Amino acid sequence: MRLDLATYPVSDVRLGSANRLSGGVLEIDPDALAAEVLDDPRIASARIELARPGESARIWPVRDVIEPRIKVEGPGVVYPGICDRPMTLVGSGRTNRLSGVGVVEVSEVQWHDAGHDWVWLFIDMLGPWGDLNPYSGLFNVCVVVEPHDDLDVDVKNKAVHNACLTVSDQLASTTASAEPSEIAVHELKTPSTPLPKVVHIQCVHSSQATSGSPTTFCTSIYGATHLELPRALHPNEILDGAMTGPYRTAFATSWTLANNPLLRHLYDRHGVDFEFVGVIPMRTEWTRQDEKDWIGQETARLAYMLGADGALVTWDAGGNEQVEVIRVVRACERMGIKTVFMTHEDITGSSEGVSSLLEPVRELDALVSTGTIGGSYSMPAELPGVDRVIGSQQKLGGRLRDELVPTSGPLPALPMYDDHYGFNNLVGRDY
Amino acid sequence: MTIRVVHYLNQFFAGRGGDEAAGMPLEAIEGPVRSGALIQNLMGGQGEIVGTLVCGDNYANEETEATLEAAGEALDRFRPDVVIAGPAFNAGRYGLACGEIGSLAESRGIKAVAAMHEENPGAAQHRRRVYILKTGESPVGMNEAAAKIAAFALKLARGDEIGPADEEGYVARTRKIVRAAKPGAQRAIDMLAAKVNGNPFNTEIPVILPDRVEPAAPIADMSTATIALVTTGGLIPRGNPERQTAGNPEQYYTYSIEGMTELDGSDWEAFHGGYFNGTASDNPNYILPLQQLRTLEDQGVVGGIYPSLFTMPGVGTSVPKARRLGARMADEMLEHDVDGALLVAT
Repeated sequence: MRLDLATYPVSDVRLGSANRLSGGVLEIDPDALAAEVLDDPRIASARIELARPGESARIWPVRDVIEPRIKVEGPGVVYPGICDRPMTLVGSGRTNRLSGVGVVEVSEVQWHDAGHDWVWLFIDMLGPWGDLNPYSGLFNVCVVVEPHDDLDVDVKNKAVHNACLTVSDQLASTTASAEPSEIAVHELKTPSTPLPKVVHIQCVHSSQATSGSPTTFCTSIYGATHLELPRALHPNEILDGAMTGPYRTAFATSWTLANNPLLRHLYDRHGVDFEFVGVIPMRTEWTRQDEKDWIGQETARLAYMLGADGALVTWDAGGNEQVEVIRVVRACERMGIKTVFMTHEDITGSSEGVSSLLEPVRELDALVSTGTIGGSYSMPAELPGVDRVIGSQQKLGGRLRDELVPTSGPLPALPMYDDHYGFNNLVGRDY
Repeated sequence: MTIRVVHYLNQFFAGRGGDEAAGMPLEAIEGPVRSGALIQNLMGGQGEIVGTLVCGDNYANEETEATLEAAGEALDRFRPDVVIAGPAFNAGRYGLACGEIGSLAESRGIKAVAAMHEENPGAAQHRRRVYILKTGESPVGMNEAAAKIAAFALKLARGDEIGPADEEGYVARTRKIVRAAKPGAQRAIDMLAAKVNGNPFNTEIPVILPDRVEPAAPIADMSTATIALVTTGGLIPRGNPERQTAGNPEQYYTYSIEGMTELDGSDWEAFHGGYFNGTASDNPNYILPLQQLRTLEDQGVVGGIYPSLFTMPGVGTSVPKARRLGARMADEMLEHDVDGALLVAT
């Protein structure tokens, strides 16, 4: 399976009267894009706004960020399966990507009706949170979109996400008449001398148990979001968006999945330090103890049957989820698969000054820390105000989410920090 | 200018004798004594031990207040820039005394460093207040320990930046979030490459394993036993008057259940960040089964129920803190002749 990923870097985005890419400048027609989105009868309102890197702007509420990509050779479409797009196997041929651009899904639609999992992400283009979120360096084409109110919550989710994919497709299609800055070939050839084999076990949450809906909206694998057995994916499929869509945390977006720095490094070191044999997405947030044990075992066995000697384990977030992630680490180690687990740290409110893990087990002997912002460790307790807000001008705040506060701020720092891709260099250390 | 140093030694390392001299009160002596001379030598003229405090281990631990008072007077007199204590190696009472002296100095704004084996109880007790340099278990490692102390004391006194615990060799005092040289992704791949190829690597988050607890002997006769009820399910009086947190608590709470036949959802609720609280708030007996225990009490199956319940939200609590809170809870129960405790999982 060979995928040529062609990069079209964008150095500026301008609002204009057509969508076109020329000399690294992307011109977009906001009215035409909004009209395209409004063509869907499920959509009640839509408008396009632009946020630039370095601008004193805050985008709220952010559900997802998508990198515009398009398949120009080979089977299938990018971001397959989600929002009823064709689910043809992807990962081969050629895909073009507009780098430096994000399509931001800005909508009040919640993930599901069960409460608790609120959309809470906002993007600051500047300031302490701007420094740490991976989207502030992008030209963000914000799709401010709301569906009709009488729709089912899963339908609303699909409608607003589809609106953003529509915009993403339109922007990505501008690459047809431009020249890429580079074409990176992704192909995992068997190394000439045997090397230890490694897999990336990427734990991704399913909201099925919380929402009660097997078609609930969250990170999807070829469109599926339900709790299911682990699968094996070729990393090329992920570069084409086979795993896409957001989860309730700041770093779990379509953009980070497609631009996962771990994948880049795994490709780079393939054939040098190890043989990278694939990615295993493992669904998390099962409900029963035996299910938690079982999903860990199933995943470890799949890694074993792929011949893995090592596994890089990552996750998105949550408490139940962490217990399952720790179980897969343990199950792998017990089958002789050496694991590395990368995670943020929970040292908030710790008078002992130690990091807590929900289930400390001896198999967790190779942990990589991506730090935390909890308790203002890396960020001031209050984020400064901004000049301009894209999206809703007010947001729910207060400890019990019962006060409306101006989005322009100042606002309290984000409730959690979950750089489970290793974009940043924050790390916890004992002093 | 030469850095003024005060050194603390126990009776044994000051050459006053073993256990037979352990009762000696604190003495303040001008200049270095024994290993103090070695340390001063290693400071290469940059530091001078202006005074040595010598105290018997028994005296220091049993008459702590008097010891600290005498030590405080000596510090006033010697006006050190830095206090060094030990090395105490694996001597527990000596280690505790070193920690006390170090803490006293720090509380007076004088920088302090103690040295001992990391398993010495003095390390666990004082690591948050005083730098505790790690040493071997026995005085065989005296030269190495003295060199570490000398270098570190000078660094402290000069106000140099103190690096991370593993690089400097002290027992961790706290955890900080800092910037690494490489992003997380690259460090993760480096660690993976090292681990699968059998090369050395250092984990970035130390995992503190829970203790393997030896179960207490079974209760011989439940019909005469007093049982305490404990929950980590975040049971709180409705409205949360104590402003308890939903996880990682600093303390546990006790509430009277005297005369109550069950927990009523109009008086109690659940506040816990780790599970859906609605069901438990409707019927708090799910996270603390008072109703069921009262039935057993009425039937004479258990002798009695301890009149206060114990509660905290367990989620996110680190092992050392859980150990501390659990020990305190057990002490409180023992003090009131509780025979057994029922802990309810959430």
